[in-house]
Amino acid sequence: MEVKTVLQRLSEASGVSGYEDEVRSLVVEQMRALADEVRVDAMGNVVALRRGYAAGGDGPSVMLAAHMDEIGLIVTGVEKGFIRFTSVGGFDDRVLLGQEVIVHGRKDLPGIIGSRPPHVLPASERGRVISHHDLLIDVGLPPDEVTAQVRVGDLVTVNRSMIELKNDLVAGKAFDDRACVTAVLACLDMLQRMRHAWNVYAVATVQEEVGLRGATTSTFAVTPTVGIALDVTFGSQPGVSETETMDVGKGPAIAFGPNIHPAVFERLEAVAKANEIPYQVDPIPAATGTDAWAMQVTKAGIPTGLISIPLRSMHTSVETISLRDLQRAGRLLAHFIAGLDDTFLDALRMD
Amino acid sequence: MKDLIQKLVESWGPSGYEDRVRELIRAEIADVVDEWRVDALGNLIAVRKPIRPGGMRVMLAAHMDEIGVMATYVDEKGFIRFTNIGGVYPLNLRGGRVQFRDGRVGVINREEKAEGDPTLAQMFIDVGAASREDCPVRVGDPAVFLRDFVDLGPRLVAKALDDRVGCAILIEVMKQLQDTPHEVVGVFTVQEEVGLRGATTSAFGVEPDLALAIDVTATGDTPEARKRPMKLGAGPAIKVKDRGMLAHPKVKDRLIETAERLGIPYQLEVLELGSTDAASIQTSRAGVPTGCVSIPTRYLHSPSEMVDYEDVTNTVRLILGFLREPIDLG
Repeated sequence: MEVKTVLQRLSEASGVSGYEDEVRSLVVEQMRALADEVRVDAMGNVVALRRGYAAGGDGPSVMLAAHMDEIGLIVTGVEKGFIRFTSVGGFDDRVLLGQEVIVHGRKDLPGIIGSRPPHVLPASERGRVISHHDLLIDVGLPPDEVTAQVRVGDLVTVNRSMIELKNDLVAGKAFDDRACVTAVLACLDMLQRMRHAWNVYAVATVQEEVGLRGATTSTFAVTPTVGIALDVTFGSQPGVSETETMDVGKGPAIAFGPNIHPAVFERLEAVAKANEIPYQVDPIPAATGTDAWAMQVTKAGIPTGLISIPLRSMHTSVETISLRDLQRAGRLLAHFIAGLDDTFLDALRMD
Repeated sequence: MKDLIQKLVESWGPSGYEDRVRELIRAEIADVVDEWRVDALGNLIAVRKPIRPGGMRVMLAAHMDEIGVMATYVDEKGFIRFTNIGGVYPLNLRGGRVQFRDGRVGVINREEKAEGDPTLAQMFIDVGAASREDCPVRVGDPAVFLRDFVDLGPRLVAKALDDRVGCAILIEVMKQLQDTPHEVVGVFTVQEEVGLRGATTSAFGVEPDLALAIDVTATGDTPEARKRPMKLGAGPAIKVKDRGMLAHPKVKDRLIETAERLGIPYQLEVLELGSTDAASIQTSRAGVPTGCVSIPTRYLHSPSEMVDYEDVTNTVRLILGFLREPIDLG
């Protein structure tokens, strides 16, 4: 599997939380080639099952969760032909001005996010971040045509193509978390050539950015023996404390802390060492802010792990990762799954 | 419906203490539903069986509870300090009256020397007691705003329109429902204002195939209001998004189609803050396709909330129309 091509297709598809249709159809297509069954649940999660050789219908299973939704914008009104909006998920006001966007109205319209020029700003507003309440989208159409094409509740996505930087780094939108969806696909691709005893449920979740909602419901339905979430984590860059970041290009981060079952962490680390996969350790003392947080407290509790890809400039349209980290995350996951057996069930016991 | 709304809003029922409202609603609907039950949290669950085949189990939720206050301390002179039950704005309290469960009324005021934005900690309730011993209110006693219902003709003003107007709409829907393929489960929920708690458990128990919440939403149509697309009198608001949930696109679209087919005015709702029972129903069990119909309401969480009566009657029509035919989410 060519991860760069897959990541590019997923990244450039639109799929704001709650409206993941376009990216979902790509994910379903990819999953069908790699899994025994693929279904879409009531929330829109894609749930793909790869059967293990030893597992019956009720045998042990591992669920992988990576979210396919992206942060975006939503229309709140049209004023004199300009479009007002608010965010879905945590879009950062600092990176909105000057963006090229697509307004998903009755048909898709190209637009730009503009603002008053600096020359006319009162002194009190100069040098400040402009709130999205004061930004407007211009699609160029006369007011009556905008009103006919666009209404409250229409979605807006940033129009951005993936670009390749040097040294296997790439930048684009929605790598959070489609880099990890790609890693899950890479893992499933490897598993085609490996034996695994447990059932594998690969879930591309929805609505993570607005509150882990897809992971909440899909974990309930799957009720796995073990859950592994994959998400991005803060990559090292100037101005961000080293203690809060993982190095880009030095391997996926394996999280530990209260959200993580110690035996899952230990096994992931052991697998990385045994297979000479570079990795980093990410201590997270409280909420991980990922699907793992929801998975862990589903039903009577799920032993949970978290693998993260370091990413710079999170929640912008130039999120930056190393393709090598992505491939390593997929490999780590595949080897972890191939090693799951009854002895691991014993390792999970807390008593 | 105005008499019904008046009865409901003038009833007493802060979160966790909804029994009087529940009894009132039970009496209204007991004869028109096929069965009803009250669950462990106090949700009233009323079921109407389908008239014809081809439908789903549809849960409709409106919350019975209202915001209020609760006594936390009585001082030696008999003044009561209190905390909030749900989202109470200090600015709305000064000079207001509250009523405890036994009917006793107190007035709220603020420490005279207090400065800056009002906080609950600076406020107290005076029930006319001469001393701590004389004060009939005990720590833990809840109270709600005391305020009469006012019929302004096209518009209604009252406390607790959030969400008794939703309860009135749901009662009307259960009464008027004639021809439907769906098993319609009307749930009058508890504890919405303190975290959607009744909806969480009732949705788990009901296991619906589809759900709608009926609740109020904020408007942007008052002087110098924040920019919001919703306004009074433009019809029921079909929710697209609030802070807690994104409506299922097909449920939302189906509501829009229904309104357009029946010629019911409607507006689309994008709300930056707040949420409704729909948020917790949607993520119940393995997930429930969920939407929400909102009644645009001015001055939310004040003792004088205002709705447009035609918006209310049109919401009843919209929901009845929505339930008339099988629903395909495929």
